[in-house]
Amino acid sequence: MTHNKIPADHSTELPSKCQVQPEPEDPSEVNSRRDFLKTGAASLLGAAALMTQSDDAQANIEWAEHFQGNYRLMTDQEKVEARARLEKRYSEEYGKAVTVDGTPAKEGVLLGYALNIRKCIGCRRCVKACVAENNQSRGPDAGQRIEWIQVMKMARGEFTKDKMADGYPESQGIQYPEGLGIQVGGNAYSPAGVVLEGEYFYEPEAVPEKDATYMPLACMHCEKPPCVKVCPVRTTYREPDGIVVIDYNWCIGCRMCMSACPYWARRFNVTTPVLPKAEMNPKTHYLGNRPRMRGVVEKCTWCIQRNRIGRYPACVEVCPVGARKFGNLLDPESEVSLILARKNVFRLKAELNTFPKFFYFFD
Amino acid sequence: MMSQAAARLPHTKHGEATIMKKLIFNTMILVFCCGVISSAFSEEVICFESRKGASEVTKHDLQPGLPNVKCSPKTGAVLWWGDPFDDTVPLGDMPLLGHISPDKAVVKPRSGKLTILPMCGVACHNGVGPAFIPPTLPKDKKPKPLPMMETLLPDAQNLQHGRGGIWCLDCHHTTQRNKLVDNFGDPVSFDQPQRLCGKCHGDKLRDWRDGIHGKRIGEWASNGKKRWFVCTECHNPHNVQDGARNKGFIQIEPELPPQLPKGMKNANHEHVHGISQPHHGASSQH
Amino acid sequence: MHKLISFAPDYIRYIIKGGIKFYAWMGFLAILSAFSLYGFYLQNTEGLIVTGITSQIHDGLYFANLVFLVGVAAGAVTIVFPAYIHHHKAMHEVTVLGEMLAMTAVIMVMLFVFSHMGRPERLWHMIPYLGIYNFPNSMLAWDVLVLNVYLLLNLVCGFYFLYVKYSGGKINKNFFMPLVYISIVWALSIHTVTAFLISTLPARPMWFHSMMPIRFILTAFAAGPCLIILVFLIIRKNTKMWIQDDAINLLSLIITWCLGMALFLTMSEIVVELYARTEHANGLYYLMFGLHGLTKLVPWFWGSLIAMLTAFAMLLIPGIRTNYKLLPIACVLGFGGIWVEKGMGLVVPGFIPTPIGEVTEYYPSMVEVMMSIGNWGIGFLILTVLLKGAIGILLGEVKYGGSKAEKSNDVASGGKAAAYEAR
Repeated sequence: MTHNKIPADHSTELPSKCQVQPEPEDPSEVNSRRDFLKTGAASLLGAAALMTQSDDAQANIEWAEHFQGNYRLMTDQEKVEARARLEKRYSEEYGKAVTVDGTPAKEGVLLGYALNIRKCIGCRRCVKACVAENNQSRGPDAGQRIEWIQVMKMARGEFTKDKMADGYPESQGIQYPEGLGIQVGGNAYSPAGVVLEGEYFYEPEAVPEKDATYMPLACMHCEKPPCVKVCPVRTTYREPDGIVVIDYNWCIGCRMCMSACPYWARRFNVTTPVLPKAEMNPKTHYLGNRPRMRGVVEKCTWCIQRNRIGRYPACVEVCPVGARKFGNLLDPESEVSLILARKNVFRLKAELNTFPKFFYFFD
Repeated sequence: MMSQAAARLPHTKHGEATIMKKLIFNTMILVFCCGVISSAFSEEVICFESRKGASEVTKHDLQPGLPNVKCSPKTGAVLWWGDPFDDTVPLGDMPLLGHISPDKAVVKPRSGKLTILPMCGVACHNGVGPAFIPPTLPKDKKPKPLPMMETLLPDAQNLQHGRGGIWCLDCHHTTQRNKLVDNFGDPVSFDQPQRLCGKCHGDKLRDWRDGIHGKRIGEWASNGKKRWFVCTECHNPHNVQDGARNKGFIQIEPELPPQLPKGMKNANHEHVHGISQPHHGASSQH
Repeated sequence: MHKLISFAPDYIRYIIKGGIKFYAWMGFLAILSAFSLYGFYLQNTEGLIVTGITSQIHDGLYFANLVFLVGVAAGAVTIVFPAYIHHHKAMHEVTVLGEMLAMTAVIMVMLFVFSHMGRPERLWHMIPYLGIYNFPNSMLAWDVLVLNVYLLLNLVCGFYFLYVKYSGGKINKNFFMPLVYISIVWALSIHTVTAFLISTLPARPMWFHSMMPIRFILTAFAAGPCLIILVFLIIRKNTKMWIQDDAINLLSLIITWCLGMALFLTMSEIVVELYARTEHANGLYYLMFGLHGLTKLVPWFWGSLIAMLTAFAMLLIPGIRTNYKLLPIACVLGFGGIWVEKGMGLVVPGFIPTPIGEVTEYYPSMVEVMMSIGNWGIGFLILTVLLKGAIGILLGEVKYGGSKAEKSNDVASGGKAAAYEAR
């Protein structure tokens, strides 16, 4: 094994980066007006109010956020300013030192993901770890809870002797002497081996269940992402390292990307996300887990805030069966590359030519 | 002398053996209870890392508003690590696994977590012979009844591993009971169980070495620093069969299902077959 | 120049005048519009949580109305085309009414776009140079282009025509006719592109077929004229404007065949999808029979199909087609049937099941329904205003130098009476 092909630049940085934190802001100066601003400022309806409050620091931030450009096209200086604005606002809003990182993609990196479909036991820890990391909405009302990963339970199915005579169309209660020539075996509708048909809301005492297999689904980070193609404002785009991201401040909420995604990976913030201060993860990335706003689309970024500083995505780390693997597809020694080289691998809905960089494999 | 003592085990006078057994058993129970009580009275939040009964971690703040771990309110499992290398030590010498940079591979030491383990080596199986009568160290690794150990460790009575083809001393060192054993009979630390498990599960060992099998947290780069989870952190070696479950992993409690979409009252429709007709549905429900 | 300056005040002065019936109608529509504004306020403070949309079914009533109204806008070409290509006399007289309807429909489409969007205040992100316009990649960008140009074409054609009538001048054919021809083709393009909007998404098998544009156009050329006939009959009854039977008869003939062909395509789809009954037919199957025991849309589908079939059967019979007491019934059935077919029958089941097989149902909220009705209210408000103005000019009640004519509105009608007498 050789370990020199990929520059080992971040390995020692990681623990120290964890400690980096900006000076905490004094929240008292703007607290009084925040509630007012929260309700009105996010829309143009509140713009007039903002104009009259232009001395207010919070208002200036909101105002500037309204008129900033698309993150991808900003100059480096503008990016720094945009992130600083957000850091200030989030730190005040959540009462802790929030960082908004902007680490760009590294040269020579094309990120990929592999999931051992045979190993998955459907415990949904990845789903919850994702929420713990990525600051999704978690309110009690319908529509207020967003999870980026869905785990599907599929029946192993069974073929039984008593269904042998249960063919179609006789089973409809009508006896056709020749069965109209339609040949359907009585076990035709046994769910064995079906993909993408099953249960999402399963809730047994313990998993894995004997009669089930499980399949987690999230953003596939396609090399040819249909969501990016349909976006009318190019707010969602593919980063150089292959991650498909969204600039939440640029999204107009038209939801075309959601229609176009064949993997149902995208979620819509139907309301202002409900994110308790204590649960908020203060280490964020501009294109990743920073708190979102009402009316925009969000999705998995493979924890861009973590992977850009070298860390595994949260779902990879939490998986109790080690079914989730992540790494650089351009590095032949990486876990994903070794899996592609050794294991049997498939891409979900490969026939759509979206070329996901999320691979399912089995031992 | 050691082997003599071991050989005598089945032939000792009964009364003497029973008294000794009771004595040791009571001591062990006391040690167990102390551990349980001390954890019950602490106010700390303790979560388990991979499976219940293996490594655990106590919740605290790394910095204001940033905890070291986040745990599931439903299952108590660790969902998220603030610092993946908390409480870890270098994996150490890794024979058979090729070149692995020692500072890049770390593990959470397991020996310390196995509360009974220090007792084993000190009280009885200290490798220097019978401090007690009867002597406790076997001459060879042939299976034989061990009533005291079986009472002490219910797992040992019903070993769900190897379908009767293996027993205690295939994995535990014959004389040093706080060690495992490798192919040559040499002792192996409880922190490196892969050296034992790999004896039979060579394909898994290879995949584990390359990061394809098992779990690692930390940095994703192939040359990055990672905390490796060793075999026994995820698998209970005394029970890998676990009754009705269908995969090589213990059954665990799942996290909560997603929120029902607006307007939906329940998800009962998921139990109904997609296309079969209503009266046909009963036979095709799954 | 003076003519141009006086056009607007004369036009507006005419529009705002009317009887009690007119004001009651306008007042009613204004109340509906207020619903829409209130809904818009809620959506942009609370968020779209006040509607029934979810991450699973994220387009509902708004998108359905949007798609349908694009069809209505395109449907106006059923007046313009016979008028200018076939030189149909009766149609020629009312072309401008069709243009007014098209304009209204496009404006309503835009209202529904605003209702649909999560962040309508960020629409400027789409404006080239200010923001990013993902052209030609995004089908939505194409749709925005064709809709806006269509609005502009109708605005220019319609108001140029009205202005010329008003000022008593002659139409500059070199300027006007090319625009008319472009607008005819453009009308096809708006519905084609809207069909492409959803039919270019392989993620949604129910929409992903090349039949979609022609089906859209056929339903549009059925639904549009249905509304136009209803409007024409109302105009005939309530204003001095007389629309010739010839025009209405041609429109009902167009409806008959377009509706017939649309039904044929629906039948083809059902046969193709359900013969093999692949997984890709799940959406249609859900619509027709329900899936996993969930059957909320089933009555809508069959109701719409029955409505359309009945309308078609009625229109096939010449006796009914030319009976202006029964014709409106057929038109309402056709219009309603197609509206349901587009909304509940096309947009919503496209999301059921989700691309990863999750079956959920759509429950539109009160706010959503209220706001949709409100948007229709605004639409009818605009339509009434535009048609009234257009009719006024066509009748010669508004014309340049009309300050004299205006003084005695009865003079105009008196003049008309005199003309009749002279005959």
